[in-house]
Amino acid sequence: MSDTNEHLDKLMQELRRGTLTIGVLSQLHEPQYGYSLVASLEERNFQVEAGTLYPLLRRLEKQGLLESKWDTNETRPRKYYLLSETGKEVFEQLVEEWKNMVGSLENLLQNKGGS
Amino acid sequence: MELIERYIYAVTHRLPQSQREDIAKELRGLIEDMLEERGQEGHVTEKQVEEVLLELGEPRKLAEKYRGTKRYLIGPELFDHYLMVLKIALISAGVVIGATFIIQVTLDPPSILDSFISLIISTVNGLPMAFGWTTLVFAVIQFVGTKQLNVNLQEKKSWKPSDLPVVPDPKGRVKRGDAIAGIVFYTIFIAIFGFSNEYFGVWFFEDGKFHHVIPFFNEDSYGYYFLFIVLMFGFGIIKECLKLIYGRWTMKIVLFTTIVNIISCIGLLFIIAEPAIWNPNFMNQLVESGLVVAQSEAYDVISFIWEKSTFWLFILWVFGLVWDIVDGYIRVRRSKRSE
Repeated sequence: MSDTNEHLDKLMQELRRGTLTIGVLSQLHEPQYGYSLVASLEERNFQVEAGTLYPLLRRLEKQGLLESKWDTNETRPRKYYLLSETGKEVFEQLVEEWKNMVGSLENLLQNKGGS
Repeated sequence: MELIERYIYAVTHRLPQSQREDIAKELRGLIEDMLEERGQEGHVTEKQVEEVLLELGEPRKLAEKYRGTKRYLIGPELFDHYLMVLKIALISAGVVIGATFIIQVTLDPPSILDSFISLIISTVNGLPMAFGWTTLVFAVIQFVGTKQLNVNLQEKKSWKPSDLPVVPDPKGRVKRGDAIAGIVFYTIFIAIFGFSNEYFGVWFFEDGKFHHVIPFFNEDSYGYYFLFIVLMFGFGIIKECLKLIYGRWTMKIVLFTTIVNIISCIGLLFIIAEPAIWNPNFMNQLVESGLVVAQSEAYDVISFIWEKSTFWLFILWVFGLVWDIVDGYIRVRRSKRSE
């Protein structure tokens, strides 16, 4: 049984890793800083660790999908991230692809083993 | 909170200088946010800090995520080549060290203990040196070449099935063992010619003990020729490496062989034109050592051979080089026959 759990854990990790980017991009039409993003994702039952999200935000910024700005007016300085123009375009297309994928997978699951 | 600063330092000092400050600032903010969520403001216990840091995970792993790539001295794309070259280097070094030991023992059997000690010393010195230099060269290639390699890999995207090389006829295939043996031999020859040319000659033993050598080579002008010899064998090593890389005989290898061999021939011609490479006093020294008597029949024969040997060596050598080219050409033809 623990063997099954182990496999499940690994596969779930891969699934989460694959969907993480699209989930993060979806929440950045308004500027957010890292920890508020963790909170808002968790609120919607989308689990993500801060230690994974922060590096991901930087990577997406480096790739040009996000823009960032430091806000030093609050009690502590925070780096806010926001979708860039390219980011918006990529996100729109990504959502289309995702819907297609969900559709075809749904189709597969309903016709198991071609029966 | 000292612990927080220690954590941030542990993450950021593993990252490029240019990103450290920004990431440190962001991390500090994150940790403070996480602490704030856990307790009343201003009342942060050591235990809560530890909890938060545990949640963020090992600094090494977090830094790895920030970097996005794993770091290595020699990456997976180079590792196969690295292992192969390392094997060749270690075998060559081992054979040279072993051969030196055998020569020393033959020359001077009573001091076998000394020879044995120097065998151990050169093993302890030599093998790590071969290992170190190979590793260094590959590390430099990795460091400098990774970007280049990525570009190459991207260019290869437009790969076509018709690009696949034909399966070569077994006779046109390069045997790995042969090529590696070739490299080892070239290395040994460089070592012998380079560092023990004074032993290259007629050996004299007295009472079973090595006495002296009448060298074939002229020691005064040897340095000049040594360069040529190293170049020739060095090109030989490159040729064997090319064979290893291509895995079969190709026109490129034959072309390279041809060019190298032509240069070798020209170099040999220079040596012939002024045979100062040979020991000019060879015959006199033979007589002095009492091996032959001057003006005897044996003297005439040896003297004749000695004088003509340059010419015949040249002919033999040129023949070998020409055969080398023809042989390569035939192999290429054969390997293409199965097309």
